[in-house]
Amino acid sequence: MIESFENTFQIVVLLICTNIAVFRAWKYKSRTWTLLSFFYGCFLLGDIYWLLYLVFMGQTPQISVVSDLSWYAAIVFLYFLIRHISPPEQVKSRSLLAWLSPGFAFVMALYYMQRGEIVSNLIYAGLMGLLLHASLSRLTDKGQTAPIRMVAGAVLTLCLLEYALWTASCIWEGDSPLNPYIWIDFLLSISFLLLIPATQKAVET
Amino acid sequence: MTYIENIYACLAAPLLVAILCMRREGRRSLLFVLAGMTTCLLSAYVSTFVTGIAGVDRATASFEITPVVEELMKLLPMAFFLLIFEPEREITIGGTMMVSVGFATFENVCFLSSYGSSDLLRLLVRGFGTGAMHVVCGVVVAMGLYFLWNQTWLRTVGVFALLCFVITFHAIFNILVSQSGFVFWIGSAIPLTVVLFYLIFLAPRVASAR
Repeated sequence: MIESFENTFQIVVLLICTNIAVFRAWKYKSRTWTLLSFFYGCFLLGDIYWLLYLVFMGQTPQISVVSDLSWYAAIVFLYFLIRHISPPEQVKSRSLLAWLSPGFAFVMALYYMQRGEIVSNLIYAGLMGLLLHASLSRLTDKGQTAPIRMVAGAVLTLCLLEYALWTASCIWEGDSPLNPYIWIDFLLSISFLLLIPATQKAVET
Repeated sequence: MTYIENIYACLAAPLLVAILCMRREGRRSLLFVLAGMTTCLLSAYVSTFVTGIAGVDRATASFEITPVVEELMKLLPMAFFLLIFEPEREITIGGTMMVSVGFATFENVCFLSSYGSSDLLRLLVRGFGTGAMHVVCGVVVAMGLYFLWNQTWLRTVGVFALLCFVITFHAIFNILVSQSGFVFWIGSAIPLTVVLFYLIFLAPRVASAR
């Protein structure tokens, strides 16, 4: 029951974010907002699919490929967004943390593989590694403007919350309101909103 | 039992004759329609095979396997055409639409022969709903191929992302139209609503951008 509620909450937040991003993409003919609306749209579709499956079939998807595909796409669009507002050739940072982040994604994937699928965890590791590297290298680069670093910070927050969520799902099970998974998912839902003001600032500059 | 190969042979024969007789745009359009129908036939085989391997029931297959297989298969004729002929934007989008139309048409004919043709209203909803859904999914991928990215690797990753997007859209549609009553009507209306939204708000902008 609480899982449906938490999914519904996330869908509502994403629906608001998608509408704002689509409206701004349409109004300003901006590729940045278009990429952000694709990110929100993909995440939203994955969540809707998951919730509909849960409601109509009474269980979570058995093969779960479809939702994962949608979430892969969301990560790809977020990576494109960060590349678009700050092209890689303009990033001067040589931060060790940024270069270690793909390794962190791979180690976490090895941990998740003990409980889940191999292929999907490897794909997530590749995509999240790219995203973590992109956000950390921009965040640690002193040459980047404040709005770009805000977007990178928002993306990093999303990535870290996503990892916290996946780890919590491995440790704690059950539908209890005391399960940290539920609360981290609520935090993740709220953190989606961070990207809107950050992107607005980046577009304005 | 429905013999879809026989239905395919019957529908493809006049198209093949017309393809031999026609020239240029007409021939190309009919070839795309035929490619769409062929893709639909092959998708049915692949879906059945994967369902057997995964050991899931028909409903689960329709929600989790069929959308993935159908959207991937639908992309193949266009990917082949793009790689070999390197066509212009207009031809790519039109071609993808024709492949989707061929796909949806063959799927609807198979549906008709399996479930009968007595309920006109339901068939109309099915025709417009599924037809619009396949066209929407095809056009989204086609537009990604030519409008959004300039570099080859960006285009490849971008098309993968858009493909993931349309697979989920297709799967949500399948879940909704498998229900009865209000949910079925909502599900059937979504693709048509997207088409109307595109025609009213986005098409004029796309036309002015060309």
